Amino acid sequence: MTADTEELDLNDRLKLIETMIAEGRRRTESYSWVFVLWGLAYYVAIAWSTGGFTGAIFGARNLAWPVTMTVFFVLTWILTVRRSRNQPVTTHGRAVGSIWFAMGISMFILLLSLGLSGRGDQQLFIAVTSTMLGTTNAASGMLLKWKLQFACAIVWWLAAVAALFGTVTQSSIAFLVAIFFCQIVFGIYGMIREASQRRQGVSHA
Amino acid sequence: MPELPELNPVIHGKLRLALLSLLSGVEEAEFTWLRSKTGSTDGNLGAQLLKLEEAGYVAIEKKFVQRKPQTLYRMTDPGRQALTEYVQALKQLLGGAIGV
Repeated sequence: MTADTEELDLNDRLKLIETMIAEGRRRTESYSWVFVLWGLAYYVAIAWSTGGFTGAIFGARNLAWPVTMTVFFVLTWILTVRRSRNQPVTTHGRAVGSIWFAMGISMFILLLSLGLSGRGDQQLFIAVTSTMLGTTNAASGMLLKWKLQFACAIVWWLAAVAALFGTVTQSSIAFLVAIFFCQIVFGIYGMIREASQRRQGVSHA
Repeated sequence: MPELPELNPVIHGKLRLALLSLLSGVEEAEFTWLRSKTGSTDGNLGAQLLKLEEAGYVAIEKKFVQRKPQTLYRMTDPGRQALTEYVQALKQLLGGAIGV
């Protein structure tokens, strides 16, 4: 083997190391669907709790939030486990996941307790929920260096302020608008972005 | 003239090098994920992972998830140290620069 071919071989190895490290760190998880799912969950719970659904099952309005949250929490858990199978565990993924998991548990306990106890001051409920979602989106946005997600956090915080200073109608509108933009629209945008990243990943492989 | 470093023969194999590099970017990974990333066959992949395990560079954990067997691989501290030294040796040999 000549010195030139040896150097070429060593260069190949350096490139291999760089490629594989980048491949290992490449995020292939897709979690944007969770935003859309929970956007729908909030709309279902709101519609139920305000009498938007008819039928005997939807008669008990105080059960709207506890039941909807429980059903969607279980659904999210099952779908997440199924979709993340065979994916490697990364410190980055675990950090982002832990923020959302902790928020999910907190939100679940809060909404379940508020619904069952009947202590449902609507404006305070919107303010607390929006603040929690703002905190989580901000933390996740900073970790992922994703300005759009941080912008969602600002929208949630604004909704929280509007809920405390506005009328009941104004606070409800602010909450519905925040859900639409920060859950549904942001989630769909994220899904499109993830699909595009996956396609690029496949073509580079 | 300064003495040139020797490259670690356990890591120098292309598939073993690829595996260690992959594992350096994750906390732990499944056999199937490593297979999909390297495009290797089950037999070859298993043999190379065994060599890395025998060298103490990779740790293996076998468990059942939803009644299905799962084999997880994780890079050990000596493995990380060996990869770092390997990269440094490569840098020295080539006189180039790379960050790991």
